[in-house]
Order: sequence, then C-alpha cells, then structure tokens
Amino acid sequence: MDRLLRPFIRDWWGILLLLLAWQAWVVLSGLNAIVMPRPLDVVADIATNLPVYLPALGISLAAAAFGLVGGFMLGLGLGILTWASTIAAGMLTPVTVLFSSVPVVTLIPILARLFGYGPGTVVAITVIISFFPAFVFSSAGLRALPPGSADLFRVLGASRWRVLTSLALPAAMPNLAVALRIGAAHALLAAMVAEYLMGSSGLGAMFAAAKSELNTERALGASLIVAAISLTLYLLSLRVEHWARARYG
Amino acid sequence: MSGPSGAAIALHDVTRRFPLKGVPEGVLALDRVTLDVQPGEFVALLGPSGCGKSTLLRMTAGLDTPSTGTVRVGGETPAAVAARQGFGVAFQDHALLPWLTVRDNIALPFRVAGKPVNQGRIAALIALVKLTGFEEAFPRNLSGGMRQRVNIARALVLQPEVLLLDEPFGALDAVTRRHMNLELQRIWTETRTTTLLVTHAVEEALFLADRIVVMTGRPGRVAQDLPVPFARPRPVEVMREERFHEMQDSLVLALEPEAHD
Amino acid sequence: MRLARDPRVLGVLGTLVLCLAWEGIGASGLGGFTWPPLSRVLAMLADPDRWDLFGRAAGSTLASAVVGYIFGTLAGVALAMLTHFLPRLAPGADRLAAGMHAIPTVALAPVFLILLPADSTPPTLAGIGVAFLVYVAAAAGLRAASAAHRDLFQVLGAHPSARLLRLDLPAGLPSIATGLRLAVPAALIGAVIGEWFGAPRGLGVLIVNGMQNFQIVLLWSAVLLVALISLTAYLIAGAIERAVHARFR
Repeated sequence: MDRLLRPFIRDWWGILLLLLAWQAWVVLSGLNAIVMPRPLDVVADIATNLPVYLPALGISLAAAAFGLVGGFMLGLGLGILTWASTIAAGMLTPVTVLFSSVPVVTLIPILARLFGYGPGTVVAITVIISFFPAFVFSSAGLRALPPGSADLFRVLGASRWRVLTSLALPAAMPNLAVALRIGAAHALLAAMVAEYLMGSSGLGAMFAAAKSELNTERALGASLIVAAISLTLYLLSLRVEHWARARYG
Repeated sequence: MSGPSGAAIALHDVTRRFPLKGVPEGVLALDRVTLDVQPGEFVALLGPSGCGKSTLLRMTAGLDTPSTGTVRVGGETPAAVAARQGFGVAFQDHALLPWLTVRDNIALPFRVAGKPVNQGRIAALIALVKLTGFEEAFPRNLSGGMRQRVNIARALVLQPEVLLLDEPFGALDAVTRRHMNLELQRIWTETRTTTLLVTHAVEEALFLADRIVVMTGRPGRVAQDLPVPFARPRPVEVMREERFHEMQDSLVLALEPEAHD
Repeated sequence: MRLARDPRVLGVLGTLVLCLAWEGIGASGLGGFTWPPLSRVLAMLADPDRWDLFGRAAGSTLASAVVGYIFGTLAGVALAMLTHFLPRLAPGADRLAAGMHAIPTVALAPVFLILLPADSTPPTLAGIGVAFLVYVAAAAGLRAASAAHRDLFQVLGAHPSARLLRLDLPAGLPSIATGLRLAVPAALIGAVIGEWFGAPRGLGVLIVNGMQNFQIVLLWSAVLLVALISLTAYLIAGAIERAVHARFR
C-alpha cells in the first residue's frame, strides 16, 4: 500500500492540496452550499445527473475532435505549401508571429458572427483556432532537418516529393506531436468558449445556462468534467510527444 | 595547517567504484591509491585519460567521495576545508560567470564567503596575471588564454591553503599553453601554495612540479613517484636541457607502455 | 530578385496582402455584412468621439492583465524556487502547473466567479496563465547553470542562498525572460476571458456586447485593439529578452 501511495502523493500533492483547500475553505467559511458547493457535492451532482451531462459532453467533444482534425489537416497542408515555396513561407510569417504574440481566442466572437449562430459554427471555430498551432509547428518542423541530411538527399538526386516524405515529414514528427498537444487544448477551449458565448449546445452552453439559473453545482460540474478531460488529453498527448521524440527526434 | 602526518593533502588507501548497469560490484576506477602532498609542495598527477586522476582531484576538493579509504586536507575533511574557503580551484572549463566582469569574477570568492571584498588584493592579482586594463571586460570578450588567467587569479584570491588545478590549460592551443605554463611557474614561485595539478602533458608536469606521480589506468593505480630535480626559479631554458628531455622520454614511455612493446 | 527573397520584405508583403484581403473582402461584401472593411475598423478606432470608450475599456483590460502578469510571475518564480530547494516537491508541482494550464480557462472561470468579486476574475485568470509559463521557464532556468559552475560554488563552500543569488538566479534569467515574453498573450487571454464571464468593463465586455448587439465594427475594433496591445507588449518583452540574453549568456 505504501509503495503505491508514496509515488501517488509525490506526483499529485499539488492538485490534491488544491481540492483539499477548496473543501476546507467552504466548510470553514460557513458559506451557503448553494453559493459555493464542496467538491463532493459537485461529484454527486455529476453522478446523479449523467443523462444531462453526457449528451452535452458528447456534443462538445465531437466539436473539439472534428475541429482538431480539420484544423490539423489545414495547418499541416499549409505548412507543406510553405515548405515547398520560400515566397509563401515569407508571406505567411505574419501569421506565425500573430499566433505567438496575439490572443487568438479573442477571434471567437468575430467568427461566431461571421458564420452565424448555427450548429456548424462551433466546429468551424475550433477548426480555425486549432489551425494556428498546427501551421506554426508543422512549418517549423519541416525545416528542422538533421544537419547534412538535405545535402545528402540532393546528392542522391531525390525528387521533391521523396525529400518531403522520406526526410522532412519524419523530421517534423516531434513538432507535429507538440502541435497536437497544444492543438488539443486549444480545440477544447475554443469549443467551450464558443458554446458559452453563443449559448447553443454542449457543455459550454450548459454552463452558461446553469450560471444564469444560479445553479452553481451544475456549472462547476461542467467545469470539473472539462478539467478532467483536458488533463487526460494533456497527459495522453505528452505520451505521444515522448514517443515521437524517442522515435524521430 | 597540517594533519598528524604533517601532509597538507593526505589520500589514504582510496578506492572508488562507479555503479554500472548489469555489473553489481560496479567498475573499479581507483584501486587503493595513497598519496601525500607536503605543505608548500607542487605535485603533478600525470596519467592517460580515464586513469582516475581527475577523480582523485575531485575527491580532494570534496566533489566526490571515495568508496573506501580516507581523504584529509590539513587533517580535516574536504567539506570542512571548503566551508572555510580553504580551496582555490581552476578546472579546464574556466567556469567564469559570463555576466560578471573580470574584476567581479575575481571578487566572487569574497562575495560567496560573505567577506568584504579586498579591492587591493584583486588589483594586485590582476597585475600578477597581467590583465591590467581588462578589469571591466566580460569573459566573452577575452581570448582563451586570458580567461584562464582570470581563472587562476580567482583561484588565488582568498590565499587558499591548497590550490587544485585540473588541466587548467587543456583547452588552449600548444603555443598559448606553453606561455601560460611560464606564467603559472612565475606566479606560483611568488605564492608557494601547496598545489595538486592534474595533467596528461609530460612537459607541463616536468616544468611546473616538484614531484610527479604517474598513474596507470583501468583501474587507476600509482605507478611511479618521481622527484623533479630542477632548481627554482626555473627559466624557460630548463626545457632545453638534456636531463629534461631524458625524463620527458622515459615519462612518455611510462604513460604508453603498450605503444612501445 | 534577392530583395524578393528577403524574409523581412516578404513578411511586410504578407502583412500587406492580409490587410488588403481584409479590406477587399469587406468592401466588396464578399464576407457578408459581418465582415467590415479594415478602413471602417480603423476609422472607428481613430474617431476621437470613441476614444473615451476605448480608452476606459483598454485601461481596464490592461490593468487586469498587468496585475495578473505581476502576481503570476511572482507565483511562478516562487514555486520554481520552492522546488529548487526542495526537489522532492518537483513532480507534484509540475503536475499542478500542467493541470492548471491544461484546464481551459473557461472551466476555471466559474470557480473564481463564485469565490471572488466579478472584477477580480480577469486578473486572476491572467495570473494563472502567466504563472504556469513562468514556472516552467523559471524551473528550467534555475537548473541551467553548468556542472562546472556548480562544482566551483561547492568547492568555494557557498551557502545555498549565496548559490541562488550569485549563480542559479542569474544563470536562469535568460530562460525566465523567454517565459515572460511568452506570457504576454497569456495574460491578455486571461483578462479578456475573465471579462467575458461577467466583468463590469473592459475590452472583453466591448467584444461580447458588440457580438450580441450586432455592433460589428465595434466588435472588430475591440478585437483589433486587443491584438495591437498584445503585439506591442510582446515586442517590448522580446527586446528585454534579447538584452537579458546578451548580458547573462
């Protein structure tokens, strides 16, 4: 038991401390449970209202997944285009600079108005938001070749296509893994924010509704689910990243 | 200060094993090495790379501990000597702090020790290592030889009981290296600090040391303990003497026996 | 021809194309009525009658971002120093930081909304985003001193506090400066999202109001203003970063 418990506390003491502080704070401050529920109340609300939570979660996850895949393909495609053309690469540097220097999330309200309050809009927004990291990291990764390898391929008279598939794309794998990790976090965030702002459907909308009804347990339940899923996604994509580094790095 | 034996540095029956995956007893790097350095003596540890001479020096400095055996500096543990700033060290990596000027790098040991900075002492050392005029320069703007001069000055600034030098000129080109050896000889003659120098350059050891301890590798053992007969101060002409060349040849042979079989 | 391949020329060209496309799509009506031409957006930002509105909103958002930036930096550096002196705490602190970062800000907002007055949510969210980036950068920076430097300080008998002050902290400054640059957009994202969750004023409030009330030009102007503020702060942080790198490396 001790063998299991020690590593667990070593790795998770920070988050455990946070949850404990939350629970203790509510108990000690004597706040009304309606104003500020304890973590256990929130877990209980999720467990007893699964039919409410699960469809909303499904909608949000689907939007995030479609958006992530679409944005990733779009970013990688444009990354390959800039890899093939120095002029395109130079012209698209402002996009790269903007991604790292400007809060891209603030585009969501503009996109919401552009596409209208329809069901496809959330997906379109997640596509565009997750496009940025995919493009920035894939175009950087396609250029991060092992030293000397480009010369070797040129001496061998390899075609442009062969250089791309045999050299540049494998060399970009670690960067693509980073893009996936950041993109996954961005996609879920974008889906939630879009749903919240438009009040359409999914966890974000559910949270918006719970907030206006002052149903704090429900609002925090939505938060807790998103938090747990984000953390799982993050840890999973970290695994993918380690694998890509070990295999291609 | 000296221990019961009177030695400034006393390494006794020192063995060091490094752990290795799949080998439960580990790799034997040093095998029962005993070495005494007398106060005011300059001893060179000479040996091929991987013979454990740097490990011996690191143990003397308290950066490593023996698996068995004892290390005493002035009769005390290395940690105790380090705690009262009794060591001066210069390693091959000059380890100058890139954000400090020449003057502040040399003043660093004062500040680390929490002692008031003796600017007169620093100015004298800068003059001793011939860097007057470069006090406000940063290490990145200095040549390799100049950086090692700063390194030596920093090692001497607190008037250490023991000076530990690990290939201090190992990264320099041959011409600069010989020049730095002349300088070190001159500086050392003025201070006469107890010194342990690790090197694999025979000429350097012969020119600088009072005594040369030759080591062999795998596992590291003391093979020879050789007094150097040249009187001090040693002019550069010493290196052209017949006896210098004879000793140089026999030491080179001792370092690479298999190459001459 | 050489000029045409200069990345700076191409970057300016790309920015120009981006602006022209924005203007063209807006003016031709290709993007619908929710896509205003750039000139109308700039005209609104340049209109002295609007300066009071924009000035108050930008001041409020900027204040939130700055407060969050400062406290987030302090928290990140403090946590990094704690794990520096107590390395056993490092795995748990890493998880906590990664967890807080992986969880979308939207999911955290409700918790703070309930715990804190509405106008302190923006700086809090800004601070959390900043704290993570600065923690990661500072933790890596405090480990950046070379083995030779560490040996030197050990042989000199340096007290841990002397080592921190004279070696680890200065050696870590370049990494911390990089983290501070990356934290600029994070601070603004936190501030704006915090405002979306119900702050009384700020550019985020202008954005949401513009979106909900179909004040399209106002919406785009406020988003552009956020981007410009972020870009300016990012460039300043980049200049500071370069100076620190030149001095401490």
